[in-house]
Amino acid sequence: MTDLAAALGRLVGDEHVRPVPGQPAWLVTPASPAEVADVIRSSADAGAAIVPVGAGYRAARVRGLGERPRIHLSTERLDQVVQLDETSLLCQVQAGLTGLALEKILAPRGLSLGDYPPGILGSSIGGLIGVRTPGKSSARHGFFEEAVAGVSAVLADGRTVHTRVAPRRSTGPDLARALCGSEGTLGIITAATLRLHRRPEARLVAAFLVPSVAAAIDAAFLALREECAPAGLRIIDAAEVRAQFPGVALGDSEALLVAATAGPTDLAACDRDLIASAVDAEGGRAADVGLAELWWRRRFGLEATPEPGPMFQASAGPGELTAAYHAVRAAVPGARLHVSRFDLDGAVVFATFVDGSGAALTGDALAAALTSAEAAATRAGAWLLGARPTALDPYLAALRAELDPRGVMNPGALQ
Amino acid sequence: MSERFTTADVARQLDDCTFCPKMCRHACPVSTTTGKESLIPQAKMDRLNRLRRGLEPWRAETTDALYACTGCRQCTVYCDHGNEPGLVLLAGRAAAQKNGAGHPALTGYGERFRARDQRLATAAKEQFGAEHFATSGTIGFWPGCDSLDKGSADIAAAQAIFERLGVGPVPIVDAGLACAGYPLLAAGLTDEFRWHAGKVATALRRFTTIVIGCSACRHAITAQYQGEGVTVPTEVVTLAEFLATHAAKLPTPAVRKPVYYHDPCYLARSVGVLEEPRRVLGQVAEVREFAWSGVDTECCGGGGLLPKTMPAVADAMARRRLSEIAAAGGGTVATACGTCALMLRRNAPDGVEVADLATTVARLTDTPFTPPAAPADEP
Amino acid sequence: MVVDADRVRRELEAIVGPRRVSLRAGDLDTYARDMWPRLLLARRDGAPPASLPTAVVWPETAREVAAIVKTARRLGVPIIPYGGGSGVCGGVVPVFGGITVDTKRMAALRGVRSRDQVVDVEAGLSGERFERELARRGYTFGNFPSSIYCSTVGGWLATRAAGQLSTKYGKVEDRVAGLTLVTGTGDIVDTDGPRRALGGPDWTQLILGSEGTLGIITSARLRLSPAPQLTVFRGFEVDNVAAGIEALRRVMQTGLRPAVVRLYDELDTFVNSFGHHEHDPERAHFQHTHAPAPLPGEGALPPLPPPPRPAESRGPLERLLGLARRKKDGLRGDAFTALLDRPRFINTVVGAVAEKIARKGCKLIIGLEGARLRTEVEAALTFAELERAGARDLGEEPGRAWHARRYAVSYKMSGVFRDGAFVDTMEVATRWSNLADLYYSVREAIGRHAVVMAHFSHAYPEGCSIYFTFAAHADDRAASERRYDAIWKDGLEAATRVGGTISHHHGVGLLRGPFMAGEHREAMAILGALKKSFDPDDVMNPGKLGLPSARWGSV
Repeated sequence: MTDLAAALGRLVGDEHVRPVPGQPAWLVTPASPAEVADVIRSSADAGAAIVPVGAGYRAARVRGLGERPRIHLSTERLDQVVQLDETSLLCQVQAGLTGLALEKILAPRGLSLGDYPPGILGSSIGGLIGVRTPGKSSARHGFFEEAVAGVSAVLADGRTVHTRVAPRRSTGPDLARALCGSEGTLGIITAATLRLHRRPEARLVAAFLVPSVAAAIDAAFLALREECAPAGLRIIDAAEVRAQFPGVALGDSEALLVAATAGPTDLAACDRDLIASAVDAEGGRAADVGLAELWWRRRFGLEATPEPGPMFQASAGPGELTAAYHAVRAAVPGARLHVSRFDLDGAVVFATFVDGSGAALTGDALAAALTSAEAAATRAGAWLLGARPTALDPYLAALRAELDPRGVMNPGALQ
Repeated sequence: MSERFTTADVARQLDDCTFCPKMCRHACPVSTTTGKESLIPQAKMDRLNRLRRGLEPWRAETTDALYACTGCRQCTVYCDHGNEPGLVLLAGRAAAQKNGAGHPALTGYGERFRARDQRLATAAKEQFGAEHFATSGTIGFWPGCDSLDKGSADIAAAQAIFERLGVGPVPIVDAGLACAGYPLLAAGLTDEFRWHAGKVATALRRFTTIVIGCSACRHAITAQYQGEGVTVPTEVVTLAEFLATHAAKLPTPAVRKPVYYHDPCYLARSVGVLEEPRRVLGQVAEVREFAWSGVDTECCGGGGLLPKTMPAVADAMARRRLSEIAAAGGGTVATACGTCALMLRRNAPDGVEVADLATTVARLTDTPFTPPAAPADEP
Repeated sequence: MVVDADRVRRELEAIVGPRRVSLRAGDLDTYARDMWPRLLLARRDGAPPASLPTAVVWPETAREVAAIVKTARRLGVPIIPYGGGSGVCGGVVPVFGGITVDTKRMAALRGVRSRDQVVDVEAGLSGERFERELARRGYTFGNFPSSIYCSTVGGWLATRAAGQLSTKYGKVEDRVAGLTLVTGTGDIVDTDGPRRALGGPDWTQLILGSEGTLGIITSARLRLSPAPQLTVFRGFEVDNVAAGIEALRRVMQTGLRPAVVRLYDELDTFVNSFGHHEHDPERAHFQHTHAPAPLPGEGALPPLPPPPRPAESRGPLERLLGLARRKKDGLRGDAFTALLDRPRFINTVVGAVAEKIARKGCKLIIGLEGARLRTEVEAALTFAELERAGARDLGEEPGRAWHARRYAVSYKMSGVFRDGAFVDTMEVATRWSNLADLYYSVREAIGRHAVVMAHFSHAYPEGCSIYFTFAAHADDRAASERRYDAIWKDGLEAATRVGGTISHHHGVGLLRGPFMAGEHREAMAILGALKKSFDPDDVMNPGKLGLPSARWGSV
């Protein structure tokens, strides 16, 4: 193991190879895609497992590897914007750049990755692409993976692959999609070409009070079916409204629907009006737009969001969403919930579990609440974080065996 | 010469089909029912093209595709070339006959046709009684062979309607003939067709107006006879057209039952009668449409001698046509052709009731009619 | 490898019964080909297909398909899925023989989940029938390729097809919620699930486009849109291709999603203005409802023509006479068949003539459809953006005229082939900043051998597709095939060199197999790994997608 560490030190510089306390692991931080390839080759030759880690790395114990020596491969130093093609609204960036950092670079040019939930942008681009979790989406710009126009990655044998950048192709399976969501098991992403958006001409927000969460959900999908494409949309139940928006008077079953639309002025206004009509059709009415403005500012960290934040999420399709909401609500008394990350595929239910005084549950109480909520949500047809379809696991195993015969690429993941 | 009847044009049609990216293929009921690519219009025409070019020998194994067509013309609706595969394939069948490569199920068909024709005419006389027949007059009724064979109740219903409308009695044409000869063309027996047409024409000439129950007969008499030099100066109208001119006299029931109307393919796409049957039916029922109706109607499988050459496919086509009604929970279907009535009735799934237009009108207007007794020697 | 055909028949009949298996020569001949123009060159010459399947089988369920795949593995014969056979790349050619599996007896539209607007449909359903049934229920899938009359849903999914309205609705791969696949091991797997929520590779996206090499798609869950409440068409005129590209880019990058955008280059605009096919719905309706009748004495049936005279070389004058005779048909493609031996001449001179004499610039067709309110707003914004970019509004008529005849181009193929020439299309795509390069490079490359024109369509915020139509003539089959191959080699090499993709929506099949290594480079390793995982015995459509095959050898 120390031989390997030394070898890696020679490749990337000793200061970029650090032991990870309490594990047979070294944190390695190469500076370039070429170094990444070298590191992978050397590590694989030594039989060490390779675990990709992105921003926010906290040296967490990786499950499923036992005492096998491993490399925590950090892309932190791969933080360059390789190419910015403003004409085509494409940019090629290295995988270690975080979403937020990229947005800072793009903003002065009037460009942006798009209307994705700001909370996810703390991750590195590689992490955003390599790990699929629900909620990386908005109705306006779709699921984050759809922003990927091309990927560069290093395979287990050290070869680098680049997928051709084209708007769309019919040249066989979409090979980039083998790498998206596969958590480094098929290849370590070193760079990606992402689709960008221009700053919209107008941004509008609106708030509505709706008789029930179910009605609000119906209104949301009604608007989406009318081709409304909001930049953000959230349905907040009464419990959470009282905690997050003090002073708002609403009944126990009522809900607050806040929405943001963007685009050319007429289109943004049209989308806002579509939501308003949908709400109206469900028996709701307009509320103080200041509530929506507050939500939007908090979303971008311009104002502090009252703690505690959600500790549970479950994703559901349009047919199951209402049932999932009610199931979690019933399973954990006093829970505060909101539904967001809407697109035509469904949305995500977020829940905050608190005690009588409004403090977050911890320890055993929290564990019990989570267990109840997970069981209830699953029964209602929702999907939990980290869930995986297992029907094709034999094919995933075969694919991994083909591309990674020595089994070094993040072996504990996707099991 | 007319456009589609020159060798140059037929050659163009065959080549156009051979090189075409088969735009019509979704609209061929034979290939859609079987799922067979080799039975799409393009493949059938391509096969004929290869035969006439001498690239394939004239044998039963190679000419079989020529018979997998009912002549329904659904493909022509989607052909920008103006091709007529149904017609050209019949020319192919005629050539197959001459080359001794006719379909094995049609061996000796000329004889069999004549025998059936006589048998049906004789049986009809017995069933209905000679008083319902006439050899001449102002108006005569030509039900068509499939009606005479399996739809005698429909004929009785038609006669009852004629009476009720005040235009009856309309005697059945008495000539010892049941069919206008279309099946002979479908077998590629053009000489027999010409000879038979002459006999039919002689009989029809003795009437001023003829009301025809069979859409293929109507097309044969008004369009195809003249090609063989046989003229029929008589006014020939289909039963649907005839009833439509008197439709206003039909009583309207208080409650209109929903009835689906199935356009017979020859009626809709060869003879152009789409609106009249709906007008008649609409007087007594709420007309409902199939998904593919009017100019897009789908063939019941009864044409082109398919029930003889590919009987399982023909029946499957009828079943497929009615599956939509079954899937919608059942219903009543009316049609305006004896062959369609026969095919659809025989293959109706549970919950789907099929009747000829005249019978449907009779039932919905409470017009009594008595189906004649089966003839003594019914096979 | 000698195949025991009788054994194949017996084993297949054990699965589906005797009526749904065929080893008849006529069937094998039909199923040996799709609409790849190169195959027509041999056919026109009277040559039999170079390879035939051993048998054709028509399964009715996924379980039957699975049993067939297992049988093929056991017998060691390939399996080739066949939908509409409308592909233009030779994807169904049984290069190593085998069993052709026709999906068209699995053609049910099983049902629509109205809450999430997803339809469950079997793969063998014809595109036109699919859309009509959806329309009756108030929905659309939004995929309208010019082959909709002759392609199947399964074929669309296997090739990542696109329709004319893809700018709004996306290509098919953008609207798939799940697939049912019979893999090369005979497993039946579903890829459904809320895609965005589940970890692991997106299997749906890895199976879409696999053209039968990983398995046979037997059914799919597809995302629908409500049937459009409003449809708007418009025609515009721009000074030249560059101005048109810029106008399109600005529209797409404003966040607008017209359903269809079509920018015709100078030559295509010029050609489009000729042989203007009058759209006469009444006349068409009459022709559809009245069979042609013979004149007295002509015979009730048309005469069958005798075999044609042996093909003598038809000189330019003869071809021009042929053209004159057919002028009334309005087949605009014929304008070139008489002069196709001088492609560079045509490309340069007529192109210049188009620019100078026509002096009208390039035509741009725009269409929008969808929910009423939003479509109205988007249409107004789109037209305003186009005008800001210098496009001149020609009104509704050009757009409506295009829509009325939008499938007409497919029929033109017959005339060109009948005349001894050939025609084909090449569709490539790239980002906006590369688009002009791609256009000029590929046009020049094709133009060395053929008359070529192009239109730009299938636009995206980041780029666009270019659709080249080319026609050429050569003296005989061998020369035609040589010229055909040279066009594709030069054209695709140019596309790859300039950074474009070799196919936007037609697929790979046999045609683009040799160019896949250039397209994907090292990423071919992933494709190879996918192949081995799903089809360890290499029986699924071998020889396609440019995948090397140790078992069967080279194509």
